[in-house]
Formats: sequence, C-alpha cells, structure tokens
Amino acid sequence: MSAFAMDWYLIALVIFTGFYCMLASRSIVRQLIGLELISKGAMLTVISAGHQTSNLVLAQALLITMIVIEVVVVAAGLALLVKNFRIHGTADIWKLDGLKG
Amino acid sequence: MDKGLLAYLLIPLLSAVIIPFAARRRALLADILANVTLLAGLANIAWLALRPSVIQGGFADIPGDGFSLLLVGAVYLVALCVTFFSAWFMPEGQPNRAAYYSLLLVSVSAMTGVVTSTDFFTLYVFIEVLAVTSFALITTDESAGGIEGALKYFFLTFPASALIIVGVAVMLLSLGSLSFESLRIAMSAEAPAAAVTFSAALILLGFLIKSGVVPFHTWTPDAYQGAYAPVSAHLAGIVTKISGVYAIIKLATLLRFFDGRAQALSEMLMFLGMLSIAVGALAALRQTDFKRMLAFSSISQVGYIVLAAGLGTPLAVMGAVFHLINHATFKTVLFLNSASVEKATGTTDMDKLGGLEHSMPWTSWTSVVALLSTAGVPPLSGFWSKLLIILALWEAGLRGYAVMALLFSIVTLAYFMMMQKKVFFGKKGQAAESSAEVSAPLLAPAVLMCGIIVALGLLFPYFYTYVKVVAERIIL
Repeated sequence: MSAFAMDWYLIALVIFTGFYCMLASRSIVRQLIGLELISKGAMLTVISAGHQTSNLVLAQALLITMIVIEVVVVAAGLALLVKNFRIHGTADIWKLDGLKG
Repeated sequence: MDKGLLAYLLIPLLSAVIIPFAARRRALLADILANVTLLAGLANIAWLALRPSVIQGGFADIPGDGFSLLLVGAVYLVALCVTFFSAWFMPEGQPNRAAYYSLLLVSVSAMTGVVTSTDFFTLYVFIEVLAVTSFALITTDESAGGIEGALKYFFLTFPASALIIVGVAVMLLSLGSLSFESLRIAMSAEAPAAAVTFSAALILLGFLIKSGVVPFHTWTPDAYQGAYAPVSAHLAGIVTKISGVYAIIKLATLLRFFDGRAQALSEMLMFLGMLSIAVGALAALRQTDFKRMLAFSSISQVGYIVLAAGLGTPLAVMGAVFHLINHATFKTVLFLNSASVEKATGTTDMDKLGGLEHSMPWTSWTSVVALLSTAGVPPLSGFWSKLLIILALWEAGLRGYAVMALLFSIVTLAYFMMMQKKVFFGKKGQAAESSAEVSAPLLAPAVLMCGIIVALGLLFPYFYTYVKVVAERIIL
C-alpha cells in the first residue's frame, strides 16, 4: 500500500470514529468531541493533499489558518454548551426539544 | 479578493473595534456609530451603481463582475435596517449593547468578504467568521430558545465546514489550485476530470447544508425562531443567504451547468431545490408560530434560488440573483414585522394573536406588500424574479419543474393569507387587546423595504439591464 493510500485510509478511520462518537452518545460534550475528530480528519486531508502534490508549503499555510479558525468556532460552541448547561441543568442532547412545530 | 470593494470590508471591521471603547461611557454612541457606518457604506454603493451616468451607460462602468457589488449593497441595506430597528427595539440599559453592534458589524464585514473572495479558501475563512458571529448574535437575549437554536445551528454547520475542507483538499489534489478562475478553466475543457467535479460536489454539499436546503433544513426553523427578534431578520434576510446560497450560485456558474458538463450535479441540485420548495411550503401551512412559519417560507424561497442555480442557464442565473435580492427585501420586512408584533403583544403564537389590523395598521399593510411580493403577485418585485425562473425552466424543456414551481407559488400565497388572517385580520385575540402600534422608527425600516419592493417591481427594466450585465459577466 502506498503512503498516500495509507494516509487516506487512516483519515477515513478518524472521520468514521468521529461519526460513531456522535451517533453513540447522548451527551453534548461527547458530541462536540466527535465533531472535533471529524474536523481533524478533514484537516489531515489537506496536509496529505499538499504532500502528494509536493505543495507542502501552501498546504501548511492553509492548515495553520484553518486551525486558528477552528479554535475560534470551537470556543464559541463551548460557550454555548456552558450556557445551555446553566439554563437546562443537563447536557443531554435529546432534551433539546423546546422548539417544535 | 476583489480589491475595489475592500473598503466595504475594512470600515465596518474598524467600527466594530472602536464601538466597545467609544460606548464605555455613553451607550448611545454604539447605536450611532453602527448606523452611521452602514448608512455611509450604503450611500457610497448607491453612488457607485445608481448615479445617472452609470444608468445611462447600461451599467457598463460597474467595477468587478457586478454581482459582488449588488450583494454588498444588499448586505448593507439589510444590516442598516436591522441596526436601525434594534436601536429602538432594545430595552434601555441592556448590558451587551456594544457587543451586539460590534458583532453585527463584524458579520457585515465577513459577508462582504464572502461575496468578494475569489478562491475557495478565502470563502471558507469568511464563512467561518460569519458562523461564529451568528452563534453569538442568536443568543443575544440569552433565552433558552436562542441557545437551543444556536446549538442546533452549530452542530449542523460544523460538519458542513469539515465537508468543505475535504472538498478543498481534493481540489488541491486534482486541480492544484483553489481559485475560482482555475476551476472555471478546468470545467471548460472538453472532458473535465471527474476528481475536479467531485471536489466541487463536496464543497457544494457543505454549502447546501449551510443554506438549509431540504434534507438538511432541520436547523433553520429552530435557529430563526429562537433567535433574538431583530437578529432573526438579519439571519433570514441575508446571513444564511450569503453563507450558503451565494456560494451555490457561484459554483453553479463556475461548473458551467448550462452546457451539461456536470449533468448529474445539476440534476441533483434542481431536485433538491424543488424538494425544498415543496417541503417548505407544505410545512409552513401547518405552523402556529409566526416566526417559525416565516422560517419554513424562507426554506421554500431558497428552494426557488437553488432550483434556478441548478439549471444554470443565463436566464436562470439572472432569476436566481434577482430572487436572492428580493428574498432579502421581503423576508426582512416580514421578520421585522414579527419582531414589532412581539414587542407590541409579547407573543408570536398565531393562535393567540388576531385583529391587529386596527391597532397596528402600518405593520399590517407592510406585511401585505411583502407577502404579495413573496407569492409573486405583479407588479411587485417578487413577480419578476419568479417569472424569470419559471421562464428559464420552460425554455430548457423542464415543463414539469416549471408547472410545479408555479403551483407552489400559489401555496405560498395560501399560507401567507392564513398568516395574515390569523395575525392581522379577523377577531381580536387575547394578546391583541391592549396592543398599540409600535413607534415610527421601528416602522421606518419596513416601510423603506416596502418602497424598495415596489420600486424594483416598477423600475424592472433598469434592474433587468443591471442583472443582465451581471449574468453575462459571471457566466462568460
């Protein structure tokens, strides 16, 4: 198996672990961890693509920016989790059903 | 980046930085700064696009592709209406007033960044900035509904971003570059590489989730209903349209759907568009909450834009662009009116409302204008954009889609008539007893937008020339 195929095999594994994590757990915190895994897997694809096309410098630049942005998004998400916990007193995703119609 | 429009991005960002410092002593300065920034930007855009010499020259002097300028204009218009409305809507002494205006201005500059970017990576960066500001804006009043809506929005847009990143990686592998121009060149080759189309499809899927097209629409009603009232107008009027639908139209033109090189993608997009027209309209029929019904109507109208973008002929792209602008005008009016109703009566439950026509005549009649425009009644602007879309579908031989689009336009009229009857006409409900018309400044944005709806409908020949220039420049 070439290094490239190995990369993408592992990336697929990471992404599916993330999806499994999201499907199997009810806690919002674990769902967020699953999302993080998916997003990290997606970022690995960029660095793998950069290596394959011998364009590693560009890929690294893109990736660093992506990591910075992702940190901001996750920080906003965590703030929402904390506020949600303060209001509802629970971190169960199935209890998030106040809005219906 | 389109450098000619960079100032529209940087100036709101600068104001957003200044506002928290300036408003530390006097909270009123936050309102004034935000409104003045947006008004100045709007006046500047109006001068660029609408001065008599430009109109007489058939809009040939418009910088860039014209599409960016049009959308920057729409962004500033909606944001100005929302900030002006919030200045009077917010209770005195709300603690995070300065933060609210800062976030609003950052979201304006992020949207400007989205519409002026010329490669997928910049697009991704600005869309993430826009998403973060939206989460914070939705939860402005810290209600349980707002936080729930924001969490649902978060949990669906985050995987969408991951999809966009994978798409960017595959595009880097297959195309070697991320600029729009190189994708356009690759797609105009005799037989474009399948991997390039695949990468574009991944990115497209991410944006479909972000724009709330039907299989991925679950977050939209919750986010709109739970959001702080003026923010839901901002979100529905422009934010989700820029962060999702704009990119879909852009990709549709880059992938050259009109010459059938990405046939499968084009058909899928048209099917999803039709599906969300149908599901959105049918779900809106049975809603009891004013804001939630408007959210489903928004899904249905996005369906029209996606349907036209999926077809991708010049006429259809013109219809899509025009409908995007129209959607920004009428949906802003309706959501701002729902906010006025909420302020006057304290509820948005349609079963408790009723008979507001006598106590709130201005709110009632601006709603009527907006809903007739949404349903596509001539001579209002919504009629022309739907006409363009349906004509384009008919011309391309897709008779079935054209007829369905026309029929669901009637369903649109039906659910809006039900809404109007339940909220404004009919007998007075319990909540409507003691309500009075909201103050004039709260009505001004809705009246302004109604003026624009009527003007766009009546001055359609001029606007058609503009949109035609846009469609020619972005397709050819």
